[in-house]
Amino acid sequence: MSSAILWAPLAFGLVGLFLPKRAVGWWAVLGTVVTLGLAIAVAIGFDGNSSALQYAVDEPWISGLGVDYSLGVDGLNLFLILLTTVLWTGGVAFAAFREQERAKTFYFLMLVAETATLGSFLAQDLLLFVLFFDLMLVPFYFLFGAWGHDRSAEGGLTASAATLKMIVYTLIGSLLMLVAAIATAVLAADGGHLTFSIASLNEHGLTQGSQRWIFWFFAAAFLVKMPAFLLHGWMPDAYRAAPLPALVVFSGVLAKVGAYGFLRVVLPLFPDATVEFQEVILIIALASILYGSVMAFTQTNVRLIAGYSSVAQLGFITAGIFALSADGADGAVLQMVNHGLVVAPLFVIVAILLERTGSEDIREMGGMALRAPVLAALFLIVALATLAMPGSANFVGEFYILNGLFEAKIVFAFIAISGVAMSAYYALRLYQQTMHNRKPEGLLSREIGLRDGLVLVPLVLCILGLALYPQLVLERTAPSVDKSVSRVRDGETPSARLASMSKQELKEILTPAPGNTP
Amino acid sequence: MNFHEPHIDYAGISPVIALTVGLCVVLLSAVFKPLRRSAPLLTMLTLGVTAGLLIWQWDDPKTLITGALRLDDLAISISLIAILTAAFCVVLSIRERATEEAGSGEYHALLLGSVLGMVLLAQATNLVSFFVALEMLSIPLYILCATNLRREGSLESGLKYLIVGSIGSATLLYGMAFLYGGTGATNFAGIADGIARNGLDGDPLILIGIAMAAVGLAFKTSIAPFHQWTPDVYQGAPTPITAFMAVATKAAAFAVFLRFFDVALGSQLDSWQPALAALAAISIVVGNVGALGQDSLKRMLGYSGVAQAGYMLGGVVVLSDAGTSSLVFYLAAYAFMNLAAFAVIVGRERETIYGDDIRAVRGLGVERPLLAWPLTISMLALAGLPATAGFIGKLYLIEALVEGDYTWLAVFIAVGTMISLAYYLRVVAAMWMGPEGESVTGATPVIAGASPEADPVDPEASRRWYIVGPALLAAAATVFFGVIPQPLVEFASHAGSTLFG
Amino acid sequence: MSATAWAWLVLLFPLLGSIVIGLGYRALPAKLAGIIGTVAIGLAFACGVAALISLLGDEPEARHHASSLWDYASVAGLDIKLGIFVDPLSIFMVLVVSGVSTLIHLYSYGYMQSDEGYHRFFSYLNFFVFSMLLLVLAGNFVLLIVGWAFVGFASYALISFWYRRETATRAGMKAFVINVVGDIGLVLAAFLIFRELGTFDYGAVFERAPETFTTNEWSVTAICLLLLVGAFAKSAQLPLHTWLPDAMEGPTPVSSLIHAATMVTAGVYLIARTHVLFELAPTAADIAAFVGLATLLVAATMALVMTDLKRAIAYSTMSQIGYMIMGVSIGAYSAGMFHLMTHAFFKALLFMAAGSIIAAMANDQNIDRMSGFGKAMRFTSITFVCGALALAAFPGTSGFFSKDEILAFAEARGGMYLIFTVLGYVGALMTAVYSFRLVFRVLPGKPCKEAQELIDTGHVAHEAPKNPATGEPEDTDVGFPGAVHHVAEGSAPMRVAMGVLAFGAIFAGLIQIPGVDDVVTKFLDPVWEGSPLAAIEPSLGQDYVGLGIGGLIALLGIGIAYLLYVARPELPGRLEARLRPLHTLFANKWYFDEAIDFLVVRPALAIGRFANRVFERFVVDGLVSGTEGTVRGAGGVVRAVQNGFVRSYALLLIAGFAGLALYFLLSSS
Repeated sequence: MSSAILWAPLAFGLVGLFLPKRAVGWWAVLGTVVTLGLAIAVAIGFDGNSSALQYAVDEPWISGLGVDYSLGVDGLNLFLILLTTVLWTGGVAFAAFREQERAKTFYFLMLVAETATLGSFLAQDLLLFVLFFDLMLVPFYFLFGAWGHDRSAEGGLTASAATLKMIVYTLIGSLLMLVAAIATAVLAADGGHLTFSIASLNEHGLTQGSQRWIFWFFAAAFLVKMPAFLLHGWMPDAYRAAPLPALVVFSGVLAKVGAYGFLRVVLPLFPDATVEFQEVILIIALASILYGSVMAFTQTNVRLIAGYSSVAQLGFITAGIFALSADGADGAVLQMVNHGLVVAPLFVIVAILLERTGSEDIREMGGMALRAPVLAALFLIVALATLAMPGSANFVGEFYILNGLFEAKIVFAFIAISGVAMSAYYALRLYQQTMHNRKPEGLLSREIGLRDGLVLVPLVLCILGLALYPQLVLERTAPSVDKSVSRVRDGETPSARLASMSKQELKEILTPAPGNTP
Repeated sequence: MNFHEPHIDYAGISPVIALTVGLCVVLLSAVFKPLRRSAPLLTMLTLGVTAGLLIWQWDDPKTLITGALRLDDLAISISLIAILTAAFCVVLSIRERATEEAGSGEYHALLLGSVLGMVLLAQATNLVSFFVALEMLSIPLYILCATNLRREGSLESGLKYLIVGSIGSATLLYGMAFLYGGTGATNFAGIADGIARNGLDGDPLILIGIAMAAVGLAFKTSIAPFHQWTPDVYQGAPTPITAFMAVATKAAAFAVFLRFFDVALGSQLDSWQPALAALAAISIVVGNVGALGQDSLKRMLGYSGVAQAGYMLGGVVVLSDAGTSSLVFYLAAYAFMNLAAFAVIVGRERETIYGDDIRAVRGLGVERPLLAWPLTISMLALAGLPATAGFIGKLYLIEALVEGDYTWLAVFIAVGTMISLAYYLRVVAAMWMGPEGESVTGATPVIAGASPEADPVDPEASRRWYIVGPALLAAAATVFFGVIPQPLVEFASHAGSTLFG
Repeated sequence: MSATAWAWLVLLFPLLGSIVIGLGYRALPAKLAGIIGTVAIGLAFACGVAALISLLGDEPEARHHASSLWDYASVAGLDIKLGIFVDPLSIFMVLVVSGVSTLIHLYSYGYMQSDEGYHRFFSYLNFFVFSMLLLVLAGNFVLLIVGWAFVGFASYALISFWYRRETATRAGMKAFVINVVGDIGLVLAAFLIFRELGTFDYGAVFERAPETFTTNEWSVTAICLLLLVGAFAKSAQLPLHTWLPDAMEGPTPVSSLIHAATMVTAGVYLIARTHVLFELAPTAADIAAFVGLATLLVAATMALVMTDLKRAIAYSTMSQIGYMIMGVSIGAYSAGMFHLMTHAFFKALLFMAAGSIIAAMANDQNIDRMSGFGKAMRFTSITFVCGALALAAFPGTSGFFSKDEILAFAEARGGMYLIFTVLGYVGALMTAVYSFRLVFRVLPGKPCKEAQELIDTGHVAHEAPKNPATGEPEDTDVGFPGAVHHVAEGSAPMRVAMGVLAFGAIFAGLIQIPGVDDVVTKFLDPVWEGSPLAAIEPSLGQDYVGLGIGGLIALLGIGIAYLLYVARPELPGRLEARLRPLHTLFANKWYFDEAIDFLVVRPALAIGRFANRVFERFVVDGLVSGTEGTVRGAGGVVRAVQNGFVRSYALLLIAGFAGLALYFLLSSS
């Protein structure tokens, strides 16, 4: 089942290369829909009470190098997989409603990207994870570069330059991560049988010394991907260059892979280092929150407002993970889903706005609500969710994150929460400047068509649904999240906790949980 | 006095014999008019037979000619790589002006000669055979580089290669003399226990010898700072030959590198390991930064070759089965990646006026998808991106390095790869993201007396099977072994395990 | 049916109404939308009454029920259910809110006709009522925060209802952001509560608090102060009040409903609801009381000088809420809530009357231009006077009883709390003055142009409206009463609504005559059971003395107003000249806006500019371009060495070898 989900998009993509130009778009949509269907089937069959891997696949791939083809679904990735499939359906459908040049290649790359992304979520083998993590970049490199916008006229970069910047930035992290991953396996094997299976790596801890540098190599990869403060240099150019259908999925999903990586790999595998560097990461996260928010409310380019707001949001997610408490991490996972669900429609709306105004500058927009009430209403919902309005699932996510942070490091919580106030300002500003106020001359304001509605409305319904019942996500993720933070709970080093444990507890720890057996 | 003829293992030397015979036949074919056109066919035939014989010898290690040669799976795998490359080179040489100018027969004969040298070098376990084989490999190449008579660059590169190459060989020879002087043995095993017996650990003589040998080999494998001939020669030589040199020479030279250092000088590990590691690091840096902003694709690939050699040297440094296997794997992968690229360059050289300049591939994605994809794949593979053999190769190397406690070198590789993205992706960008419209294919027909640099343009060149075929084949292999690496990994690990047989 | 079931229905109807009207914005005819909206709230009120009845059925001490629909977000030890809490306090609020809302919907039904945004208006309005009811019925702090934020949003949406008015959108943004600051206060309070008590649930919190906290322990004090941030932001108490006057950009019914009767009193409700905590943190309670006092005085001074009709009433609202905050903080819970109720009546009424007048003035709100509406709009002016009397606490009116009860309690509590009584009376005096200042400026005298037209033709018609703030012509597509303006005189529903409220404003006090009936106190008492403060009862004597003083002060104030604005109209000018600095201070609203702008807004924007212009360019990009530069530089070096001369290659080769050899020799020796 996992394999089916993983390869379905690629299969459709390959077939699509041999279809007539007109059909290929709809074929791609069909592909994403099928994948979505599979994902939903998995979600339905998913047992929410267990933290064990489900739908697990485990075949030797490169036995010589100890790399296995092993996939699996658990609470950590279940909803991220759903999110991926949902957003890809939306993004591809959105593209299919429009004329795409070199359509075949375009949709092929889109679907390759989906497979790669799903792969990095599904992978239960450290090296497989790294592989897919890197692979994700390739299709987006082409999508951004070949279908992107040339900004050199307005003092920006050409599409290819912007994407090159993105690739170099992100690969810096992921190549170091490759080294780190191999080192992890080699050190864990310690001369014995070499394996990259995350589950079994879980059982052999590394020495604190080696954990230190390995931790940072992984962290580098994930923080760049998010992107976090100071490592976000690629984001503005890439976001301005990107073609919007690709940006919808890119901003919606790829950033989450980084955060997910922390939960899947870093916390369980390098607990000592995690605890040791907790505050450093938290500081980075806070910086991202504040800096992202400040930038977001000074920008006038709609793409960048959304982009920097994501920086801030990912800051929250990181903070939640590194609160090193169950509720913080639960909130983080929920927030990953939420943020994906709001930022994607946000970019769809941005695309719709651009079609009407021909400009990306909010100063040249306004007053659209009158002729386009439906668009305005949808936008309003998205905007409110973005600013984590209480009553939205985003609020629940942030509430959990901040509560976790509050218990772990109260000062950080107080600083972080100021980001909430700022988000209120920039999100609402974006809405007001485009939908309200006077309508500039020559701005064509019309209602969204049925076809864009088909893309937008379901996404908004997802937002509303989660707002009414966030428990849906929380209760299914909680067990796995609990497992992944169990080693680092409350910033207490495992060694310290072992010392304070009774024989009984020790026995429980040492006998691997059912999920751990590869 | 009685003379008992030495036992000769004909099976073992059959590949060498086959090559030699083929060489003569091809050379003679040039004499008889009717056969003239058949030189490529005969060459392919020879290569095929040799390959067959080698495979027949698979998994049956034996020493030949009183320990001068050792035919084990390492040798066989390396030879196979060399032969494969040669075969590609032959196909790409069809309609190559160089062949016509130098005469098809001679051209292919020289090629085979070089291959013979490589096959021998891969087996060499004795200073003499080592050196002879090395020269046998090099001298035909010197000439081949210059075969494109009408092009100054070609002649220049040939000459340069000759001169600098001789210096390299001289150094190597000198180093051998030292070692022989120290140990009184010529074959590697002998040297090893010679050092042990005469208690020559860390003896200056031996060390200088090692240093000189290292320089000689570094030269052949174009390790910085002994790489400088590489870009010039690569650029000047006829492209098919460049392709052949870039891959085959490296392969053969690395084979003997392994034997010489890991077998003969294994005991001196402590003294040469750090030095070689340093060399590896240096050439990673030099190669990668050198390749930045090169407009000539061949030159760029030359530098990238320097960097890649740096990565591969890591496999030698760690002195372990894993190291050897990873090296073999990487060489194989490297062969496919490069051949794909060179095939495309050959094609574009012939149909545009830009030669191997990066402008020649601009807009290829729209115009010639069948060429654009191979070149793209090859670039991504060289950059070590996943789903290509290049990624698995790096993975393999890094694993070996980390196991051999050379993690810092692994990090170097990672950093180098990052830099390399800048120039590999520049090519990709040129193909897919270049300014729309203006097609460079068959632009401005060259009037007589135009710059001698410009070859006559054949606007259809890159649609010909003998361009597209190899390109697609190599690219397909690159992807295939990136997705299903298991067979190649087994092949490599098998080869690796036999080194210390 | 149980009280909780009815309570759920109370929530259901407004929500349904909002959704139906919103979705049917094209299908439904305008009138129908208005009817649906009004009926929905009416039903909510009816259900509230039903809940009240079934609640009165229980034993007084058993009059609190919790009920929840489903787990909202309950993992990792956090128990957050979608639950409500029904007790006399919440039902009391439900009745006030839904009751007043029904009337205001009725009023809007008439007032907003010929406004293009009719559907939108009723949809928002219903949504607001839903949020407000959610706020008062919420069963745990998280849901409280949700309701809290929803009303904030609804108020934003209605303030910037005429969304092509720059002033309106800006005011909306201001209100929203300041309210978010309040929300943050609540959120942090919730975290702290969870950390100390391990739950968000009202019942559990109020049970465990007394056992867990010692009086004035830092944690409980912190909790209360954080709650106060929320309360002050919502209830426009100093220094978070600046959004309220600007909020008058919204249509008048909105001001009347949200910014007078209901939402702004949420802070009062919050303190009453969490009185258990506040009694454990007397310091925090006193702080709250003093802020309330300060607000009531400062706001009163501003109301004295405002020339904008609606803003003047808005400041009076602030001031009155100051009374309530003060009351519930010092322990006069029932009195505070009672004042909340009466205030809802007369303040809503005042706004309605003002709205009717403003409509007649074509959205011109400047009282300097108004006069003679007494003749022009008899009904409106009568109701306006009723409202003013109640506000001025004229003996016998509702305000008379409710306000004095608070002050009497303060007196009964004695000690330091006498300050509140004394200054409270000072405030009362100002209240009387400014409320009748409005009456005397607007109603009597020679009719102004609009009033005259009304008298002559019986209806008013104006050219396209202008934004009084900026003078730019309004964009009537998005709303604004078009040519025809609706004034109470002409529209039955408006008259009904105002009539009912006027009755309430005058007579509602009679249900709470000290020593006679005390309906409210009796009803609410179970909520405060066990609270030492609620046990304090002002003696009848104190009560009646207080009432006496209050009555005299009210009369005095009205007298002063009469003297200033009718008998000696030139006096105000002279006073103004005499007290120039004081007047400028008041007229400029004590420079709160400027202070906030200087302390918060400018720094934030400055940081933003710095981040944009300097940091992003030089540090973030510098990081990458710097490394890139070095790498490219190195490339240059390599190419330079690659000069194509064989001799130099040979040289380097030898050099390299020398280096290698050297290394070997050194390493060996």
